[in-house]
Amino acid sequence: MRILFFLVSFLLVGVAQAQFRLPNLDVNRIIDTAKNVGKATLEIGEKDEISIGNDMAARLLGAAPLVDDPALQQYVNRVGRWLAAQTERPDLPWQFGVLDTADVNAFAVPGGTIFVTRGLLAQMKSEAELAGALAHEIGHVLKKHHLKAIQKNAQAALAGEALNLALKDQRSAARDKLLSAGSELYARGLDKSDELEADRLGVVIAARGGYDAYGLPAVLQTLQSMNAEDSSLALMFKTHPAPAERLEALDKMQPTLERYGSQPQLAERFIAELKK
Amino acid sequence: MKHLFISLLLFPLLCAAEPATLIRSTELKSEPASDATTVAQLAENTAVDARERKGGWTRVKTKSGDGWVKMLALRYGSPAKSGDSGIGRLFSTARTGSSGTTVTTGVRGLDGDQIKTAQPNAAQLKKLHGYAVDAQTASGFAASGKLQAQKVDYP
Repeated sequence: MRILFFLVSFLLVGVAQAQFRLPNLDVNRIIDTAKNVGKATLEIGEKDEISIGNDMAARLLGAAPLVDDPALQQYVNRVGRWLAAQTERPDLPWQFGVLDTADVNAFAVPGGTIFVTRGLLAQMKSEAELAGALAHEIGHVLKKHHLKAIQKNAQAALAGEALNLALKDQRSAARDKLLSAGSELYARGLDKSDELEADRLGVVIAARGGYDAYGLPAVLQTLQSMNAEDSSLALMFKTHPAPAERLEALDKMQPTLERYGSQPQLAERFIAELKK
Repeated sequence: MKHLFISLLLFPLLCAAEPATLIRSTELKSEPASDATTVAQLAENTAVDARERKGGWTRVKTKSGDGWVKMLALRYGSPAKSGDSGIGRLFSTARTGSSGTTVTTGVRGLDGDQIKTAQPNAAQLKKLHGYAVDAQTASGFAASGKLQAQKVDYP
């Protein structure tokens, strides 16, 4: 009898808890939603930024795989990781990859993933030029240019708490919408002002890393010298301001460029590493 | 004779000189340095043959002599061409809004449509993680290249 009483009360408490738990959950959700509505833009935390970035990187890798050359990949990672260590976000899980495509391009992904294409590497003459291009992309990550743009673009499709759901549940339809907004962004490009800002940051970051600060302008000058109708440039030219315009904007960086213009270019190391 | 013709065709490539134009009036220097002797004052739109770069300087051959000019004063391409095509044309490819696939040479690169339709590749992402290096490795690598970290402020 005592045991039966025990069991019954146990069950009752269980039911009572269950009844309580459900509304409790809902209340939390309502609070979350209210917070979202209250804040015009929900600040995506670093953990979510990294997680979205990894999903986004997997998609980009689905469009173009990595060059199957571990030595080359690690070389680019060493240059990139050294540059990232000179920034305000040194502890992100930075990773760098060379995409196996003749297209000339580079991409920054939220959370610290950077891609350059084999086609862009082929146009470079020194490690300082590689550093300049990587530093430009690192600048995008520092300023969260893509993250903010993806969030902004997704907000139309993800009303209310859907963005929260997209962050929390990687298998949700909302997550898919968020990532699709990301894919759209990589096909369409950032605002011009973001690109020009990344150019300025890129010059500074490469100089901080001890490289000849003219690496990025030199890459831009090479791009400017190429035939604009070359199909391998189509996406990059569609998504970036014209190289001549970017070079003109970098005129403002003359003091930094001149001050750090005689640091090492490491052309020999670059050529040796690419030949390996 | 045929050989001579072919080598003449290849000549510009072998020299690695590229036609370029000055976007502003610029001093032609004897060495890649501001305090070097000025060889000549070159006018805006002067056509030059551009060679190698050293820091912010590019070695050029000009009608007024050879020397070094500020690299940011150079734009590649000959002045005759830049009027009708060059930058203007670049803008039209960039701004028409038509997809990159309209310009093709037979080999498909990485265009916007491919990015939009790509499926995630988890195996490649794993490979990417595997190539990453830690800060300490990177720091040793920088030291072996005699790279010295500098304190530089953003503009």
